[in-house]
Amino acid sequence: MKQMMNFKITGAIKLNFILAACVSIGLLTSCEDEVYPSAGSIADKTPPSAAFSATQGVGFNDEWKTYSFANKSSSATDFAWDFGDGNSSTDFEPSNVYPGEGTFDVTLTASDKLGVTSTYSEQIVIVEPEAPSTVVPPILEASFEDNSLPDGTGDGRDSWRLSGAGVIQITSSPTYEGSQAAKFPSGGDRQAYQALAVTPNSDYTLTYYYTMKTSPSGGNVTVWILPGEVSEFSAVDTSQAIASFAGTDQSSSNDYVKVDLSFNTGANDKVAILITNELVESRVDNLSISAD
Amino acid sequence: MKYLKCTLLFALIALVSSCEEGYLEPAPKSVISSANYYTTPEQVESAVINIYDGIQGVWDFGMDENRAIQLEYYLTEMRSDNTRTKSSEGEAAQFESYSVEATNGIVANYYQSYYNVIFRANVVLENLGAAGNMAAKFEAEAKFLRAYAYFNLVRLYGDIPLVDCVISPEDKSTAYTRVATTEVYDLIASDLNTAINGLDNSSSYRASKAAAQTLLAKVHLNRGDYLEAQQLCESIVGSGNYVLEANFKDVFYNEGNGEVIFAIGYIGDSDEAQNFSPEWLNAVGRTSGVNYVTNDAKAALDAMGGDRTMYSYRNDVSQTTQNQVAKYIPNGDSALGIVATSTDPQKAGNDWVVLRYADVLLLHVESILAGGASTSSAAALSSFNLIRSRAGLADDADGTITKQELMDERRVELAFENHRLFDLMRMGEAQNVLSAFATSVGVDFSSSDLLLPIPQREINLSNGAMSQNPGY
Repeated sequence: MKQMMNFKITGAIKLNFILAACVSIGLLTSCEDEVYPSAGSIADKTPPSAAFSATQGVGFNDEWKTYSFANKSSSATDFAWDFGDGNSSTDFEPSNVYPGEGTFDVTLTASDKLGVTSTYSEQIVIVEPEAPSTVVPPILEASFEDNSLPDGTGDGRDSWRLSGAGVIQITSSPTYEGSQAAKFPSGGDRQAYQALAVTPNSDYTLTYYYTMKTSPSGGNVTVWILPGEVSEFSAVDTSQAIASFAGTDQSSSNDYVKVDLSFNTGANDKVAILITNELVESRVDNLSISAD
Repeated sequence: MKYLKCTLLFALIALVSSCEEGYLEPAPKSVISSANYYTTPEQVESAVINIYDGIQGVWDFGMDENRAIQLEYYLTEMRSDNTRTKSSEGEAAQFESYSVEATNGIVANYYQSYYNVIFRANVVLENLGAAGNMAAKFEAEAKFLRAYAYFNLVRLYGDIPLVDCVISPEDKSTAYTRVATTEVYDLIASDLNTAINGLDNSSSYRASKAAAQTLLAKVHLNRGDYLEAQQLCESIVGSGNYVLEANFKDVFYNEGNGEVIFAIGYIGDSDEAQNFSPEWLNAVGRTSGVNYVTNDAKAALDAMGGDRTMYSYRNDVSQTTQNQVAKYIPNGDSALGIVATSTDPQKAGNDWVVLRYADVLLLHVESILAGGASTSSAAALSSFNLIRSRAGLADDADGTITKQELMDERRVELAFENHRLFDLMRMGEAQNVLSAFATSVGVDFSSSDLLLPIPQREINLSNGAMSQNPGY
């Protein structure tokens, strides 16, 4: 029993010695071979990732030259911005005033405290915003002449047809200008219709010329500006008209009368011109549109 | 013997027929379950009312209860330049300092409450078969309310799970998959179009056509579809169903008035009471006072509020360096001629106005401005000047409404009604305005603070499927 105990003690001492030797060897090799962190450390699973978005300023003066930047980087602590115009910043979300129009490469370098970096670049093209302009739409076959479509074809009224409406007639005399005008017989069963693409909430003036027979009295030739575009005459609703003018000047069947019809397009990116008449044979010629 | 044979035969027949009629899954007769409850239009309507009940929320302080709209000011007004806590204490103060934590209980409650509202709406939509000839109206109502819930969530949290049917607890993929905001907006727009077609303007406490049109106009403005927004606003104006109250005070203290398009009703001293407006007073609610008015908002109201100012904020009589919201006062104010809505101010009866006509008129101006710097459109000026004239102010001086003038007018007209933050975000000015404001009050703001964190609980439950918003 005693002997066994002795042996055990000796064994334990031996073991300790071996362990100590191993550890010291291990320590020595560690120091010689590599620096921290060594085997057993885990990789950086969240390296920095740089990202941003840029927003141009809005206003009356030079606000358009100012860009503000939203920082969308992750896992980063330090930021270096190069705005591409010679300016730079280390703010988290800086803004920069550019000298003027041009193309600039903006670069954001995001880094963390381990010195790992990520770079993101975006090109911004700076253009001074133009004052909002109003589209002036072309009116096709505006003076009802043959072959006056952009491709050199057309019978003077192709652009004025609407399914379900009576097709207008063409007259060669009297006209306001050129050799043809639109004619609306006394029956009042013909209608000219054409839709135009316009800028919403803008002021326009439609100018046209009309003449009517002197009798019977009490007739009219009316130009309506209608919101939107319809594909069937049955869908036309003149009670919704944005503007209209009823011509009633029957003093001469030869002389044309000029009309300026002004309107605001309101909440419409399309409006339509509708021309109708009642009781009296009437003629219309030379429509034109301008933005006010 | 013969008798026994007959009995056996009957027994056999009975067994066979039982098997055919769901013998293994008998319908419970002594309890009501969601599977067998909805059989009449009245029962489906009770599920419709249940959606409104979800938005109205529970009179309680427990953060596991449906608190929904009663906590909304924390996430909207107190993250804008309009309000703050009185004493900068607790998690309520994380909002004003733009240091919201993913573990914030208010953030988690709002999220959970509105997904509960969405669940309630989906229950209605799955039981329309029992609604008879009311099916179209109930569908429209449920879809309006679902769109309203999603519109709030998507603006506050960004990409969110899109649940468009009743899902089981096992459907973790739907519950924890974040869907891109564009897809969420597609469902919102589609739901609102259904609502517009199925509703009229007969009630301001239930969904209406105009309420759906107003929300859809905001969705269009968020997406830059200005013309559609303008047409919707003009349709509401053209309906003739709404007018501005002559007196600004009556918008909030004459409940059910003709300016309100959609409101959530509360009844004082009852189980249907609310406890958000007592929280805005000095230690009347559970807090020492939240949603207190910032000096920035006070200065804006003093300079531009006109007749609206005295009914928008008031000095805190028990702490005169502080200012309180004067809309939705629960316990009256004799100097302002405001009557208490309950005897116990903690059980307040003030309705919460979600949408009103003044909002629509200013959205109309915004749609005509169409992202530009200014507009001189007669239609825009007409809407704008209606708002100014009700406030006792002169018409726009130079006939040109600038973007800044519109933002100012919205701020003072709709102050403390949970619009300010969304307005700044929609008009692309949130980063500019809030970083300047944050600097002036000595806190740090960054653009990632515009979105709230996804509640940490959801991220944990998702087992890593849900990612967090940047900056949290």
